[in-house]
Amino acid sequence: MKNKIAFWIITLLLTACLIFVAITTIIRPVFTKNPLPKATVRNYSEEKKKVGKDEIINPGEDTATATETISNSKDSQNKLLELKRKENLLRSRLILATEDSTYLVLDLINNLAILELKGIPLHECHIIHATISNSIKLYNKDALLGWMAEPFVLRNVEATIPKISYVEKIAPKDTLEANKMVTEPKEAKLGDVLVVMEFERNLRLIISQNEQPDADGLKLISDIRRKYNKNEISRSIQALTKFNREPVKPHIEIVIPKSDATILYKSLPLSPRLILKM
Amino acid sequence: MEIEEKKSRPFLSILIWIIPVFLFCLSVMMILYTPVFQDSAFKVKFLFAGKSLFEGKSPEAIENMVLRSGRTISSIETKLEKLKPVKPYIVVNTTENRFSLRNVDGDTVRTGVCSTGKNELLIAGNKRIIFKTPKGIFTVRNKQQNRPWVKPDWAFIEDGLPIPSARSAERIDYSTLGDYAMEIGNGYMIHGTLYQRFLGLPVTHGCVRLGDKDLEVVYNTLSKGSKVYIY
Repeated sequence: MKNKIAFWIITLLLTACLIFVAITTIIRPVFTKNPLPKATVRNYSEEKKKVGKDEIINPGEDTATATETISNSKDSQNKLLELKRKENLLRSRLILATEDSTYLVLDLINNLAILELKGIPLHECHIIHATISNSIKLYNKDALLGWMAEPFVLRNVEATIPKISYVEKIAPKDTLEANKMVTEPKEAKLGDVLVVMEFERNLRLIISQNEQPDADGLKLISDIRRKYNKNEISRSIQALTKFNREPVKPHIEIVIPKSDATILYKSLPLSPRLILKM
Repeated sequence: MEIEEKKSRPFLSILIWIIPVFLFCLSVMMILYTPVFQDSAFKVKFLFAGKSLFEGKSPEAIENMVLRSGRTISSIETKLEKLKPVKPYIVVNTTENRFSLRNVDGDTVRTGVCSTGKNELLIAGNKRIIFKTPKGIFTVRNKQQNRPWVKPDWAFIEDGLPIPSARSAERIDYSTLGDYAMEIGNGYMIHGTLYQRFLGLPVTHGCVRLGDKDLEVVYNTLSKGSKVYIY
């Protein structure tokens, strides 16, 4: 009898606990908070002033795509959605092309990661595998369009390789010392790569290498992954005490060859921008 | 029959405790793997979603939006087209020490190895000199054949030699830059090298060194004002 009472008390308490945890950490953030905050779209006319002089758009100058006859509303809705996506992408490209920094274009339709400068593709690499959060894939298209309307600016980055590394050398006192210091240059060994970039508007981009890492690389990679997992756990625990969890952090993970991952990370400026095409 | 029931009870009573244990484990899992659970929850949310982006808009309004969007796109495309280089250009990859020479349409006409900055910090007393190739967009400012190199101070510091006066003949070197040199600003150049075996390695003081044949093609293709993209 005692056991029975104990069983029911414990089961009810744990059920209540489970419901509380589920509501606080999962249901509330997923169902009530927007994981894709809308971008503040810059005034396009301001950008136009920067780029050229003949800025007035001729209203009669319709493109072929725009003037095609639209048979039914479903088709026109899809067409509009496509056009809006293209418009966002081009606008972002134009904004970044007016600046002198390298930026990253992630084309998840054609599985390409492109490093661009002034609209010129400098380096292109094939994405072997890409994982996109359901919070991006399955969120309503309205929010997605607004979210991707502007380039993403980097907020924080963690990587297993240094962005810039310098070899320090003390200047020789005389020619004898200088001759002793002369060494045959060698090709530097590429370190294993995992880059976690946190952008504004909640986006987390993870760039990982396709190759199997060595023991040292594996340790560095797991250290970074562990750090992010710990952060998530502490956010969940905080949410339980405050009954409020931040919106879900959507992420995109791309797997590319090690050499390409190194090039992308090393070539991007300290505060790079990202354009998403999906 | 009763004996059998009594025997099965302890087994049942142990088995029933699996339920609270499961509830406890699930709660802990939810805390430990919150992102995974959240991501799955979005699938459920999606089932109940279905809000259309253009809900409540008339077909005419949508068609107008299509037209407007089309006009904006063509306008932006024109602007982007204007930003493209009007002359052939070169792209230098400092991580892999490779270059690609492209024509105005962006097609690669030649690729090859090069040498870029060795990323070295030379400390000479209070002076700190960094040998690295700058990244970004540059313009060919000047082209010259058999250009002599006027050695800067660091060339003497690095060799442990006393620094001569600014106009000293010791500063002039006729062999280092090779047959052709193209200035890209701030003292940086694209030039040849005596050390062909080091091509493909980061060994320079910041300039971009090319092999003899590549240099000749690049020199003949690029003109004053051509763009140089370094990343």
